[in-house]
Amino acid sequence: MTNMQDRVRRSGSPYRRQVVAYALAGLTTASLMSTTVYAQSVDLSQWSPEYIKSIAGTATYDTAADCGAVVPNDYAGKVSYWYTGPFEADPQIAHDQDKAFWEAFKVAYPNIQTDVQSITYNELLDKFRTALLGNAAPMVVRLQILGGVEFAAKGYLNPLKPEDVGYTTGDFWPGALKSVTWEGETYGIPTNNETMGFIWNAKIFADAGLDPESPPKTWDDVVTYSKTIHDKLGIAGYGLVAKQNAGNTPFRFMPQLWAYGGGALDETSAEPAYETVELNNDGSKAALQAAYDMYVRDQSVPTSALTNTQAENQAPFIAGQLAMMIAHPAEYAKMLDLASKATGADKATADAVVENMRYGLLPEGPARRAVVFGGSNIHVVKPEYVDGGAIDEQAVKALICMWTSPEWSTKLSWVGSNPGHLGGFKTEWMKERLDTIKFLDVTTSMLPNGIPFPVQPYAPEIMNIIVPDMLQNALTGTMSVEDAANDAAAKVEELMSGM
Amino acid sequence: MSVSGPAIFTDRPMPVAKRASLPARMWKQRADYLYVLPAIVVMLIVIAYPVYYTIELSFFKTPASLQLRDKVFIGLDNYTTILTSGSFWKVTWQTLIWTFFSTLFAFFLGLGAALSLHREFVGRGVLRAILLIPWVVSAVAASYVWKWLYHSDFGAIGAFMVQVGLTDEPINFIDNTSTALASLIVVNVWKEFSFAMIMLMAGLQTVPEQLLRAAKVDGANAWQRFWHVTFPHLAGVSTVTVLLLTVQNFNSFIIPFIMTGGGPAGSSDIWITQIYQLAFGRQRWGAAAAYSVLLFIIMMTLGYFYVRALTRGDDKRAGA
Repeated sequence: MTNMQDRVRRSGSPYRRQVVAYALAGLTTASLMSTTVYAQSVDLSQWSPEYIKSIAGTATYDTAADCGAVVPNDYAGKVSYWYTGPFEADPQIAHDQDKAFWEAFKVAYPNIQTDVQSITYNELLDKFRTALLGNAAPMVVRLQILGGVEFAAKGYLNPLKPEDVGYTTGDFWPGALKSVTWEGETYGIPTNNETMGFIWNAKIFADAGLDPESPPKTWDDVVTYSKTIHDKLGIAGYGLVAKQNAGNTPFRFMPQLWAYGGGALDETSAEPAYETVELNNDGSKAALQAAYDMYVRDQSVPTSALTNTQAENQAPFIAGQLAMMIAHPAEYAKMLDLASKATGADKATADAVVENMRYGLLPEGPARRAVVFGGSNIHVVKPEYVDGGAIDEQAVKALICMWTSPEWSTKLSWVGSNPGHLGGFKTEWMKERLDTIKFLDVTTSMLPNGIPFPVQPYAPEIMNIIVPDMLQNALTGTMSVEDAANDAAAKVEELMSGM
Repeated sequence: MSVSGPAIFTDRPMPVAKRASLPARMWKQRADYLYVLPAIVVMLIVIAYPVYYTIELSFFKTPASLQLRDKVFIGLDNYTTILTSGSFWKVTWQTLIWTFFSTLFAFFLGLGAALSLHREFVGRGVLRAILLIPWVVSAVAASYVWKWLYHSDFGAIGAFMVQVGLTDEPINFIDNTSTALASLIVVNVWKEFSFAMIMLMAGLQTVPEQLLRAAKVDGANAWQRFWHVTFPHLAGVSTVTVLLLTVQNFNSFIIPFIMTGGGPAGSSDIWITQIYQLAFGRQRWGAAAAYSVLLFIIMMTLGYFYVRALTRGDDKRAGA
């Protein structure tokens, strides 16, 4: 699992996206006249693999100088920072970029001391919560996209908006900024954003008599394809993931739920109020029924889906025993890595799987095409909760300016994500990524379909506990599909009522 | 017969020295108190305060949108909510099943292994080392290995059973609400029977060889020798072992959490996994604290019996 795995959101029908695009165009014009470091740079209304490729490498930036206009480069101070950096399982390029950032920061700001801790993805939230209780938090923290709102709601974070570090609001995805907005105030800046893609094995498709070069267009097609593959070849079709208490589950099930017209709350609407529960509407039930059909009726997905996370899908996929799954672009690198470690007959199988690996857009549903809008945001902690009781505002701004710049938000999300700063898509490094990371253009083109999880402090409980429980209740036959959906909706209502 | 001479005992009470007051005695023994003071301070910090804080927290509600310091006092509501919820009794029942069967099988498997290894035979040392492996292996590593052994699609156990013709399809061990808990108990028993084995092997060393030989001379068969000689000598260590296993199983977390996360559909949820989910998954710190207090009371009760078992006979010996 990469550290980008569990992330969040954005909404939009094509019409709404157009409106957003025009609004952003307006913002672009406005920002061109602003005094901020960079101007709005990309046209979201044209977002497609071709457009992404066409703008890559068309702009250059001098990050140190640009951030120097926000915080003088000779500023002397200190900043402490927690984030999830590269770990052993990450590819070398991620380690190299991380190291290069800190070297570049030292060159740009030689007099700012840094106290940095890299904490694993699964530990960061708990450690940060604990540190806040003991007033021992860092000045700056980078959290998964869903993480910030909890701390903003509890009053732990200082307001922080792009303009504070020299950028404009239009430089970032609207959905990403929505994820750091609590009660009208912005509490962070997106560092990276990504969406997943649909992966399939073309050879298995061909063997099952399906078009090897075309992914299923709709979620109903996924159900049909999965059954066809299982019936004809005796292997699992779709890599359903339904583990309890696991962030992987909602990241793969919510796109299906949204596509059918369902939702946890009203997060799919243009202006969500997060006051109505939609887990038991017709769309949600249809999505749950589709999962039930695959798991119980057709038995065309792994039996182990109830205890599987995406990591457990990797082995059967590389062994040619699983045909379809949802994952990040980094999954291709993971498969290459697995294939390189295989030996004997396994090696030939694994190489064939890599050769036949295809990426496409997630399927559509009756309501929309949707994917979870994922990523991370950077936040500033209030002084009273920081170790030492004070923050060095200028040093904090310098670090955030550098980290969220077009250059570094691109480089630091090299393998598994995309730059939070839209200007990053125009950099030479984005071009290099597109040239070297297979299928990156496809997954990146899903970004406009991204829907953020509800921006509420209790969203983690809905997504990580209630939604997986709903799936498990239905798939194990503990409850009917109808009852499982109603039970989940009742739990969310109880949660929202403050019980 | 009469005895003459000076009386040794008289009815007159012996003069009793006046007992010093408590502060005076403490002052007199101040050096002793100073020696244990660091340990007491550390225990107060790392044990007493967390216990106090957990009890205090159990009377508060901790909404996800509020800081912990802004918690809302709700009296015994957390306890009422827990004790009246259907899921509590389901999880309690599962916890009892988990604890009872894990303890039972681990103890008897350990007893069997200890009795077998108590006899001299070639390769005894090697076998003893092999049987100790489960206890030595990290619970996390063991959980992942067993998860793959049990894997419903590609598990070695399922594949083996199909290959030898025991089943047509791999058995769904941990993705099935009916078999998940039992499958986890098997892993738990495998992991901890070595502990019972070690304890009981130590206990077997205390069985007097002469008694066993005498019983044999008197015509007692193997079962009679075990039941009337060996087992009574193992009673003390058996009680301690069972109590320790019970406490350990009540607090067991790693195996269920890693292998199933309490699923599917909560069928392998036990108290500890529930508490973890309440605290870290749902941030219901108050409810999790109330749950923990209930668990603490049970543990203290078991702890009381454990200490009783350990100190049984001390009073007699002291009085002898």
